[in-house]
Amino acid sequence: MGCCYSSEAEASDQEEETKRLLEPATSPPNKVLNGAEQSYHNLPSARTDEQAMLSSILAKTAINIIDVSAADSQGMEQHEYMDRARQYSTRLAMLSNNLTHWKKLPLLPSLTNQPHQVLASDPVPFADLQQVSRIAAYAFSALSQIRVDAKEELVVQFGIP
Amino acid sequence: MTTALTQGLERIPDQLGYLVISDGAVLASSGDLENDEQTAAILSELVATACGLRLQRSHDAPFKRLSVVFGEHSLLVTVSGQKLFVVKRQNHVQEPIAV
Repeated sequence: MGCCYSSEAEASDQEEETKRLLEPATSPPNKVLNGAEQSYHNLPSARTDEQAMLSSILAKTAINIIDVSAADSQGMEQHEYMDRARQYSTRLAMLSNNLTHWKKLPLLPSLTNQPHQVLASDPVPFADLQQVSRIAAYAFSALSQIRVDAKEELVVQFGIP
Repeated sequence: MTTALTQGLERIPDQLGYLVISDGAVLASSGDLENDEQTAAILSELVATACGLRLQRSHDAPFKRLSVVFGEHSLLVTVSGQKLFVVKRQNHVQEPIAV
């Protein structure tokens, strides 16, 4: 429920923001194009395709522009910042919970609480390494000597004279 | 944070370099292992494989340290707090391993 409510609030917030943000963004180009505007106000029938295209480009640009300075100018209260920060962090936490499934490596168990001590302790004794190497060599040699020793007939007949 | 992590590693006797890896990324490195991302990737995989091997049916960590021993040096790896600590240390015994 909380999630539904917050997303609605967010959507309305975004709309508000877009509206507010667009005003300052569109005003400077209007000033620049004053001449053009006047011309097609005076002669609406003479509005050419070219002008229509230009104004559509202008409209598209105005939609895509986000005026950051304008966003800053509308003062947000301290508690609003805090509310938003809290809202975003809870949402991030929710998303990151879902993301754990995507991780390539599984979570590693913590092997020690004193990694520095464990790494600084004595290396594996040479005799142990030798023993492991010897056992591995024996195992390899034993595996390589496994073979089928055919001594009897594969098919044996029971009780048939 | 990073200095606290690496201070102890620098004092390890015979160390030739170290790596601190978190989530596949190198957090800190020095010496022979400086920015050695290839070694970091290989050792991360090696540790993940080793942790997957359960020789005894227990919930304890299967080992404390993984030693990859070469002729002249060893790479020692451990995991603490989701971070991999790797140290490259000089071997003292330099006899070849007789098979």
